[in-house]
Amino acid sequence: MAGSVSIRHAASPRGWEAERRRAFLFGLAPSLLILGAITLVPAAALLLISLTPLNLLDPAGTFRFDDPLVNYRQLLDDPRFIGSLWVQVRLSLSSVTLQLALGLAIALLLNANSRVLAAIRSVFLIPMVLPPIVVALIWKILYTSDVSPLHRALEQIGLPLRSLIANPDTALWAISIAETWQWFPFTMLMVLAALQMIPDEPLEAARIDGANRWQLFRYIVLPYIRPVLVVCALFRLIDSFKAFPLIYVLTNGGPGTVTEVTNFYGFIQAFNFSYWGYASAIAVVMLLAVLAISWSISRFKGSDGNERHD
Amino acid sequence: MNATTDTLRLPQRGSAGEHDVPALRRPGARPLGWLRRHGRAALAVVLLLVLMFPFLWLVQIAFRPAEGAFDDSLLFTPTLEAFRALLQGNFARSFANSLVVSSLSTVLSLAIGVPAAYALTRWRFRARGRVALWILITRMAPPIAFTIPFFLAYRWIGLLDTVWGLALVYLTFNLAVVIWLMQGFFEAVPAALEEAAWIDGCGVWSAFWRVTLPLAAPGVAATAVLCFIFSWNDFFYALILTRTHAVTAPVAIVNFLQYEGWEWTKIAAGGTLVMLPVVAFTLLVRKYLVRGLTAGGVKD
Repeated sequence: MAGSVSIRHAASPRGWEAERRRAFLFGLAPSLLILGAITLVPAAALLLISLTPLNLLDPAGTFRFDDPLVNYRQLLDDPRFIGSLWVQVRLSLSSVTLQLALGLAIALLLNANSRVLAAIRSVFLIPMVLPPIVVALIWKILYTSDVSPLHRALEQIGLPLRSLIANPDTALWAISIAETWQWFPFTMLMVLAALQMIPDEPLEAARIDGANRWQLFRYIVLPYIRPVLVVCALFRLIDSFKAFPLIYVLTNGGPGTVTEVTNFYGFIQAFNFSYWGYASAIAVVMLLAVLAISWSISRFKGSDGNERHD
Repeated sequence: MNATTDTLRLPQRGSAGEHDVPALRRPGARPLGWLRRHGRAALAVVLLLVLMFPFLWLVQIAFRPAEGAFDDSLLFTPTLEAFRALLQGNFARSFANSLVVSSLSTVLSLAIGVPAAYALTRWRFRARGRVALWILITRMAPPIAFTIPFFLAYRWIGLLDTVWGLALVYLTFNLAVVIWLMQGFFEAVPAALEEAAWIDGCGVWSAFWRVTLPLAAPGVAATAVLCFIFSWNDFFYALILTRTHAVTAPVAIVNFLQYEGWEWTKIAAGGTLVMLPVVAFTLLVRKYLVRGLTAGGVKD
């Protein structure tokens, strides 16, 4: 690159390099400044607020740092918070597992040369791009017993079912199913992309050697797509911490607190109870979890030999 | 979950043909040849119908008359009554708010993010990896971490419940989207073309403007669509940062649920209107969308 450039700037290649660097910095700086102002500054503010007993009903607590760890100590003693972590773990693990299974299965099904399959591939994407609030409406209708076609069908064959979202034993799994429906296309897309990058030679060779379909999948396809599956799982795990519209519309955290995930508990503390300091501490805990997982994604992708860049 | 396990087995078991469906095979049956050739496609279509059923159900409710919203028969005279009732209320205004906020945020994030993405693509400086990680993390951070400080700051400077305030908050995720995606598109433009422009006397940015950007235009369009969809779909920020003036369409629908009783045809009509642009975009620009939605996961 520098070779051809120096034709014009033969006299001062250094000057051209410096000019280029300045130009690039000029393009990059506004983004970094704004991104800093709208992400790093709020993150720092959040951390500061989490060290105070800020509460809009009691202005005296605004800038009090006399007992900075009070919120974090309280978190450890708050059964509702500990409970919300447990709800989060169950929701995240169940829905991410189901998404991976369903997404992988459909990707394998769609990965063949056929005009029909190519045509319907993009229709499978619909749940993922729908506004989450519309997904929530769709499942609200399916889960509300007096309006749901499923409930009426079950009633007609003599199997009346109690509304899944009103029943404390099933509410969380009902949300997990809705979340799976919304997000299986993500895994499907990623796996389809990975499947198309598998070279033909090893598959051909194994077929000639008499490998059956299961062996082809287990020993050739799976090793190729495993990194993608891991990245998918981590991405979806992070996003599952943000699940909000589904819970807000379907159960509002209830019945009781059985579907109250950490994100939702933080929302209630801040915007219903006005305990900003405490809610900030919850948000800081979530932010740390996300940082840890993002870091492991970048580690994982960095160590991946198939990467072209970075 | 039966569907899942069946399809999981499909490519694994069965040793004979290329496209057979073991579960559906009957020895001696005549359609065996058809199944062998089209079994996979047939299974995929059935699965598609099952999975899209909840979505289609919502859409058909929107076209039913209000008194027969939940009749079982699929034979009904479609009516636009619900849509008409919806647009006579405040919904049209929140729909317009959604359009304005999403467009504003898309334009802002492209204007700021595209040059940055170009600089990150062509300029290999030492902290590049760290900057990239930071940008990825801003995309990942839970919205509640941003809403608390933004809410308090907006209350103080008076940006609460304004279209500009909401568009600014959407930059927290859209800027990261633009920078991530556009890097991939700029990488596809050969650097030699820019070097040729430099030799002809262009500066870095005029070469970018005249050579690189036109070549990456499809990428810009795809990125714009994605930014628009992400802002359009947001519910959490809009719920918290708006009250009455800047309410967006998703929040307006939830207000129906909570304050106006259970008028299901109106709710379904609102849902249908809100998802219309998104579904249309998805089917129109699916090739680029696929690339955008998997960005950061698979590099192609």
